[in-house]
Amino acid sequence: MIHTLTNLSVSAVTIMAPLLLAATGGLFTELSGMLNIALEGLMLVGAFASIAGVYFTDSILLGLLIGVVSSMLLSMILASVTLYLKANVFITGLAANLFASGITVILSFHLFGNRGVITFDTLKELPDLFTGFAQQMPLIAGYHVLTYLSVVLLVAAWVLLYRTRFGVRLRGVGFHEQALASLGLSPHRYRFAACVLSGLYAGLGGAALSLHLGSFVPNITAGRGWIALVAVFLGQRRPIGILLASFIFAFAEAFSNYAQGAWSVPSDFLLAIPYAISLFAIIFYSVFETRKKRIEYRKD
Amino acid sequence: MRKIERFSVLEYFVRSLFGILAIVLLSVIMLIAAIFLLSDQPLTSIASFFAGPFSSLYAIGNMIDHAVPLAIGAVGIALAMRSGNMNIGGEGQVYAGALVTTIVALALPGWGLTGILVALAASMLVSGSVATLSGWLRERWNVSDLITTFLLSNIIILVVDYMVAYPFVDPQTNLISTRFVDPSYHLLIILPPSQLNIALCIALVCVLVAHLFLYRSRTGFELRMVGDNEEFARYAGVDHRLYRILPMTLSGALYGLGGALAILGTYHATIKGFSAGMGWNALLVALIARFKPAAIIPAALFFAYIDAGARSAMFYSDVTYEIAYIVQAVIFFLISSSILQRIALGRRRV
Amino acid sequence: MTAAVRMKSITKIYPETQKRANDQVDFTLLPAEILSLAGENGAGKSTLMKILYGLISCDSGEILVHGQPFAHPSPIEAGKRGIGMVHQHFMLVEEFTVTENVVLGEESTAPTGLLDRRQNRQRVAALIEKHHFSLSPDDRVMSLSVGQKQQVEILKMLMRDVNILILDEPTSVLTQLEIDSLFTTLRKLQSHGVSIILITHKLHEIKNISDRVAVMREGRMVGVYETAEVSEEDIARAMMGDEGLSVVRKERRQLNLDPVLSVAHLSLIRHNQDHPLLDDISFTVHPGEILGCAAISGNGLGQLESVLLGNLPVSSGEILYHDEVLTSVHHTATTRKRGIPFVPSDRLFTGCSLSAKVSDNVIATSRKRFFPPFNVSRKEIESYTSHLIETYGISATPSAPIGTLSGGGIQKVILAREIERIRDLIICCEPTWGLDVNSTAFIHRQIVQLRNDGVGVLLISSNIDEILALADRLLVFSRGSVSARFSASQMASLTKEELSPFLLGKKRMEVEGA
Repeated sequence: MIHTLTNLSVSAVTIMAPLLLAATGGLFTELSGMLNIALEGLMLVGAFASIAGVYFTDSILLGLLIGVVSSMLLSMILASVTLYLKANVFITGLAANLFASGITVILSFHLFGNRGVITFDTLKELPDLFTGFAQQMPLIAGYHVLTYLSVVLLVAAWVLLYRTRFGVRLRGVGFHEQALASLGLSPHRYRFAACVLSGLYAGLGGAALSLHLGSFVPNITAGRGWIALVAVFLGQRRPIGILLASFIFAFAEAFSNYAQGAWSVPSDFLLAIPYAISLFAIIFYSVFETRKKRIEYRKD
Repeated sequence: MRKIERFSVLEYFVRSLFGILAIVLLSVIMLIAAIFLLSDQPLTSIASFFAGPFSSLYAIGNMIDHAVPLAIGAVGIALAMRSGNMNIGGEGQVYAGALVTTIVALALPGWGLTGILVALAASMLVSGSVATLSGWLRERWNVSDLITTFLLSNIIILVVDYMVAYPFVDPQTNLISTRFVDPSYHLLIILPPSQLNIALCIALVCVLVAHLFLYRSRTGFELRMVGDNEEFARYAGVDHRLYRILPMTLSGALYGLGGALAILGTYHATIKGFSAGMGWNALLVALIARFKPAAIIPAALFFAYIDAGARSAMFYSDVTYEIAYIVQAVIFFLISSSILQRIALGRRRV
Repeated sequence: MTAAVRMKSITKIYPETQKRANDQVDFTLLPAEILSLAGENGAGKSTLMKILYGLISCDSGEILVHGQPFAHPSPIEAGKRGIGMVHQHFMLVEEFTVTENVVLGEESTAPTGLLDRRQNRQRVAALIEKHHFSLSPDDRVMSLSVGQKQQVEILKMLMRDVNILILDEPTSVLTQLEIDSLFTTLRKLQSHGVSIILITHKLHEIKNISDRVAVMREGRMVGVYETAEVSEEDIARAMMGDEGLSVVRKERRQLNLDPVLSVAHLSLIRHNQDHPLLDDISFTVHPGEILGCAAISGNGLGQLESVLLGNLPVSSGEILYHDEVLTSVHHTATTRKRGIPFVPSDRLFTGCSLSAKVSDNVIATSRKRFFPPFNVSRKEIESYTSHLIETYGISATPSAPIGTLSGGGIQKVILAREIERIRDLIICCEPTWGLDVNSTAFIHRQIVQLRNDGVGVLLISSNIDEILALADRLLVFSRGSVSARFSASQMASLTKEELSPFLLGKKRMEVEGA
């Protein structure tokens, strides 16, 4: 039992990395007052560009850089159109997702002559860290480098958002745009920066997905960008909450993977578990919040 | 005074037409540029992209046939969005509608027209209920409909996948698919040899009814009021809670209907994943149409044209189908920009 | 001595309404003076100050700050020249602490690039200390009172070393104590050499605090006076022009019919407020009379309106229309379902739907009449709208979005819409707030006409002149309860001076019944 739980947690942490990265990216835009439904597309572009980058440069670092820059480019287009051409952020977000799913397949066809699953046999693998301690401390040692990075970058995001001039202003824009504008600070600039940061994080999230897998599949993200958005809401737009929400979702996915091997329940039902858990979580959270508000309102 | 107004309406119409043409032109230029970049035989690719969908009656009919479920789904989305609701769970709702219709048709072989009506009603009921649940959750507990529709849709897709793969699978085919429905359930083909069928008429009726409903009925008027300004609607005595639920029900039901008609008219069996993209595409069609029912027909046809063009280009040349996504995305970026629109409409400020 | 600010022949025409908000305005602010910029709502004083602060640009004119030309004003440039503005609606991030709000845009950072939180806090604490504000640097702004929030706004300006401070209607939401403390602060700033512009229309405050007063009317500067040399009456005359206070003439009517609207022992209690928002309010409205409810804003009129609209559930008491219960502890919102004509105070967001056509706005409250439940032709709707537009002299077309109309135009549409469905009662909340003189006079005439036709009118207004000119009977609210009631006979001779202690809550009348 304990053993299973440990195993589940270990695989949950690996599954969590891409999700947590994307959700942290979503946190920036959310706090700056933008609904970012393009996380999915940003992840997808990051996933493709990074694995293609690693393949062609034979360097993890350069590959990651290519992946991240690509998704940041897309997020810049998204931000420019939304902010400076005054477009509806929902529509531009959908457009960015559409664009991402198109461009990845087109490029994969042109670069690798394949529109389906691309497996790279000779690909450099993501290095695992602290493998020496994996036996004694399986919960915290032995993961690949991006898993550690996802947590480090979450802390970095917290520092950036809550302990720097830039972050305080970014959150200020989200809360009260005019307050910033009346001091001569440009809300658009902070939103743009938030969008680019979300591109950076989501791109890394995508890279964590494809590089860990060692292959690229069209639509490899499979809704993870959306789930990341759910995690932002569920985590109450706070870094620690996001970590928790991401872990819960990842644990559910790890459980569903485990159960597919262990039990004879149809896999489709098990695959639905993470979504169902997210759904119930968001419902319970909303019920709780509404109740709290109503009680505050009614009490004498 | 009346005269001036009429003139300005005409002028507005001409200008918005001009604006849309400009956007279409711009995206066509980008498409051609992309093809030159990606294709070794760009001229063939361009020709097959633009002319392919019109190459034969068969191609034209199939193109229109593809537009039908998109249009029906888009009508539902238009109703939801006009009332300030959000339903992005179309993928699951279309798929569920398709499966329910198939099940009914398989369960009641030979019922003919009655069976068709029962099957359509059942699919609308199921998909409508799913969307209603999201609407109710928002009304009651303020749960984001954006998120619940999406999550519910993903769950439903997996459940339907399971149903198609296990309880209802047809063991005699290689596809993961249900059995084919009885021919008495097939909708009448109106443009043989293509698959275009009388579902087209149903789509047209849906658009017309939705238009009349929105602009000519009290309920539709109240629905628009809530969407424009909920505070004002409440002030005017509209039961705003009803309009958080009813439009969701309608949009779910219409998604279900779209899926059901695709089965009875075109596919005749639920194949695993056959409707992937339909829900999103219907949402996109509604967005192009700016949630105006009358604009949904051209928007859906335009969408289907790009889709068919990309298919044809893929078939006859070395371009991949996904180029359609790129064109669509570019159109969205352009069409949603209120600045570009204002330039196109010649208004300086609002 | 160079003037702190000199503005020469400033003209501003809003393109949306073609209204001349500022017409060849000249304006001078001397160093270290407190100047009141007075005028009615819509006189153009806010526009002038927004131009100075760079929020909007003027069509023509010249601005000099400390003798230097100020050619391309923007809030950033204004800040560099030492101009600061405290807006009527606070520009504070409610979720942030006092410190975070005050240093926003001026944060101290440590060499690491991170915020130096201790130093930021100390800077703010020192400033608070220096000006004797009742604030803690660590309080969240959302937990502060309105007066404290204003102090935070002023701190923000002080942090930026402003020497020209513009305050937009700073006292409109403050209690008397808070006003006194604000004025003390302003005098102290003045003694430190800060020039202060106070946008206001409250006469006694102008007399009380300012050295000079500049008066605007209908977009023009009509006079600048040394405050000591003019009386409140003089200022009022300058603000209002020759037509003065007598907007409409009242004809008394004696009617003893049953009330159309009765409010009985209405209370509204919230646990996070130290006193009830509404405390045991009772009154009746009879046919053929205007019952006025007056208060300084923030004293319960807004809550009364929300309760009448059905947006807030009441804690006790009930509201009756004839004998029918509209609102009680268990019922909310039936006022609107019953379809009682109602002119809400927030005309832009509650009273209309800005993006919808004028015609759709006009029929919004009589949907059953125009959609029974279907209506295939819109002709009837259009012709009805045209009819109203003509009858009420509104400059609009039925198919234009109502948001393209001027404020006065929008209010006329709302009033016309509601008047057309009147049976025997109408509720009007702040019906002329922010409107120009002509629209105001028009609306006042309409309200009196309704009363003369035998309609009961409940007039809720924080505009005391309006209340005195229109109301047959009057209720004065202070801190959520009724501080005075004036009967029809008392109203005839009632003056603003007699009223003000009740408005301010300094005096209370112990009278039962109204």
